[in-house]
Amino acid sequence: MKLRVAIQKRLGNFFLDTDFSVDGEKVGIFGPSGGGKSTLVGLIAGLIRPDTGSITLDGETLFDGSAGINTRTEDRHMGMVFQRPSLFPHLSVKGNLLYGYKRCAPEKRKIAFDDVVEVLEIGKLLERGVKHLSGGEKQRVAIGRAVLRNPRLLLLDEPLSALDDSLKFHIVPFLKNVCEAFRIPYLFISHSLLEMRIMTDRTLHLVNGRIVEETTAEDLVRKHMGQSMAGYMNLIRLSEPRQVDALYAYTWGDGQLLTASGDDRPEGLFELSSTDIMLFKSHPEAISARNLLKCVVVDTFEAGNRIGINLDCSGGRLVAEVVRQAADELGITAGVEVYAAIKATAFRKLS
Amino acid sequence: MLGFTPADYSAMYLSLKVAVTATLLSLPFGFAVAYLMTYRRFRGRIAVDVAVNLPLTLPPVVIGYLLLILLGHNGPIGRWVLEPLGIKLIFTWKAAVIATAVVGFPLMVRSIRTSMEAIDLRLVHVSRLLGARRLDRIITVIVPLSVRGIIAGSVLMFARGLGEFGATIIVAGNIPGVTQTIPLAIYEYVSSPKGDIMALSLCAVSISISVVVLVFHEWLGRHIVRSD
Amino acid sequence: MKGVVSGSFLVLTILALSVSLSCAADVNLSVAASLREVVTELSDNFAKKNPGVKFLNNFGGSGALAKQIENGAPADLFFSANTEWMDYLKQRRLVEDKNIATFAYNVLVFAGKPDLKVSKLQDVARLNKIAIGSPASVPCGQYTVEAFKNAGIEKQLEGKLVMARDVRETLVYAERGEVDGAFVYKTDVEEIAKSVKILFVVPQEYYSRVSYPMGLTLAGGKKAEAVAFFTFLRSAEAKAVLAKHGFPIK
Repeated sequence: MKLRVAIQKRLGNFFLDTDFSVDGEKVGIFGPSGGGKSTLVGLIAGLIRPDTGSITLDGETLFDGSAGINTRTEDRHMGMVFQRPSLFPHLSVKGNLLYGYKRCAPEKRKIAFDDVVEVLEIGKLLERGVKHLSGGEKQRVAIGRAVLRNPRLLLLDEPLSALDDSLKFHIVPFLKNVCEAFRIPYLFISHSLLEMRIMTDRTLHLVNGRIVEETTAEDLVRKHMGQSMAGYMNLIRLSEPRQVDALYAYTWGDGQLLTASGDDRPEGLFELSSTDIMLFKSHPEAISARNLLKCVVVDTFEAGNRIGINLDCSGGRLVAEVVRQAADELGITAGVEVYAAIKATAFRKLS
Repeated sequence: MLGFTPADYSAMYLSLKVAVTATLLSLPFGFAVAYLMTYRRFRGRIAVDVAVNLPLTLPPVVIGYLLLILLGHNGPIGRWVLEPLGIKLIFTWKAAVIATAVVGFPLMVRSIRTSMEAIDLRLVHVSRLLGARRLDRIITVIVPLSVRGIIAGSVLMFARGLGEFGATIIVAGNIPGVTQTIPLAIYEYVSSPKGDIMALSLCAVSISISVVVLVFHEWLGRHIVRSD
Repeated sequence: MKGVVSGSFLVLTILALSVSLSCAADVNLSVAASLREVVTELSDNFAKKNPGVKFLNNFGGSGALAKQIENGAPADLFFSANTEWMDYLKQRRLVEDKNIATFAYNVLVFAGKPDLKVSKLQDVARLNKIAIGSPASVPCGQYTVEAFKNAGIEKQLEGKLVMARDVRETLVYAERGEVDGAFVYKTDVEEIAKSVKILFVVPQEYYSRVSYPMGLTLAGGKKAEAVAFFTFLRSAEAKAVLAKHGFPIK
């Protein structure tokens, strides 16, 4: 997907002025509430008309103020999933799903109904009305409906914001799978860095109507690490849990981690704050923390008045943080070997 | 029915015929006006709003008289449009339909507008994103979601039409068998010293029809709620 | 609160008394619509010669007027355009036989725009719309329907008759041009018609003679001014006024 957006739009006191180009499949738009994210998406979708400028997608001009071109929303072939599912109340689940599909020219239909239903696991819901579906079910149907439009770009406007945490991470795999399986590029909008990290490769940072930087979610998170008490959140995928006494033993890459929270599900996504990783220059003989990992420092980076440390542990990568003094005292630089101690209770299970 | 003359049966049939025709005729226009007022911004919105609601506040005789002036033999539309085409409206059942339609139009529009304005705009955006053009959107999203208002408006207009008198008597006249609807027939009986019993009988018929219409309206409302 | 109630009671009583005081010399007339101008002139003349007498005149279709009187509307004299409505009140003992006299007569005509080609009663059967008084309560309409029946054209006219609530409304319909013509009295056309004229006179053999009975009601019989007026209406002076307005008097 190649998207070029160079537009201006005034709405009351708010002025949006953006000029950017993105090339990729998983692009994010991140920013605080009120910063113009939804407006920008509305402009790209054609629901709002820019005052001036141009929008080009994959070489096709969708809007050009000076040339008088303004392709109607219905002809832009974009899908959109909103914060609230907005399913048609007078149609069944199947009716909702097929709404866009029916309006797509047969030769353009590359995505099959049954495949989408299978990926989103909504087969049992097809004949039901939409009123009594759960929040997660509704959002999955909304995703399916947008995807079955065979869009060339999927706009996801805070699709997870209205869901609670466990549901959020339940939906995420569906969203990713569907887009990967059917090769639909998307623009993912959110004010949550965590969601950005999971869903996007490149991220545009939109503040007060202007793109202030184009970066990756990872970089953003690292930059913010110093400002946040919570530190940098490591996202770790663990698998094959076994119960050991009061803890769970998960496989992580080549190694193993012990966590206090867990369940029987074969896979889990966990969160570990960089502030919860204690570093030792040498192997501590006895330690209460149940996890002791031998790591090699890959590199370090500045984050405010802290130092972020990229570690390569036997299982995978972790980011720890220490104050500058500590880094100097321990002589932490690239290539140095350290031991990372993590309490079992430090891991928070996301899904 | 005891004592009803053929003219009375005529009046009942005419009342229903005029009310139904006026309602069906107004539906597309009422829908179009409601759609314009709900979804389009244009200069003169307020003027249209006032014009549409005017019949609600005007005495029906005023409406009837204005229609007579416009469509009559000496009126601008009557003389320059209708007469050349050979169309005569005054003192025909068509005039009764027009009078009833004008008087009831604001009821229809208000009802449809209320349910149209309650439609979540996001659903309309969604339908556009999914590729629906304007007529498509209207048929597949807006109409189904405003159907309650459409029906309520129609029933209201029909009921109002059954009782229309002031405008009708001026522009359609009191012609038994042609334009004499139930209210006009009752009026004639009431003016006549010997007509009290007949007037009461026709009143009973009028009340019965109204009761049936209202019960039907209630039932319809419940039925649609259940299918949501 | 009490003060307001008794205060308003006082005001109402004074008003009622003053109304009834002023009613002493008021004469209420209920008059058939076609007699509007002639009765107005006669009552004006009488009032000029008898200061203190005030006439309150109510014009309309005779049947509707009779019903009003039956329902208690104040009327001292009733002028009907046919005997039926006077008999109606007589049967209900609201008018006494000895207080009824014939006031005038009239002639039924068909009026329409000058260029309309009708010259006799049977011609109207081929017209589109004709205005007549409602036969349920308007004498002019009753005479007209009687004429239709006797001429044998009643069936052909079904659906073409626009009912008016009195003879003057009938004439207005014709003036406006929304009907082809109207059946009214000769005097109506002569008095007030502007754009229509008499196209033909309905032959007398087709309908009963139009006669206007006038009667003193029970209330009127007790009012000296009303009785005096009733006498005046049978005088030569009154007959001259009738003749001036075109009413045959015998």
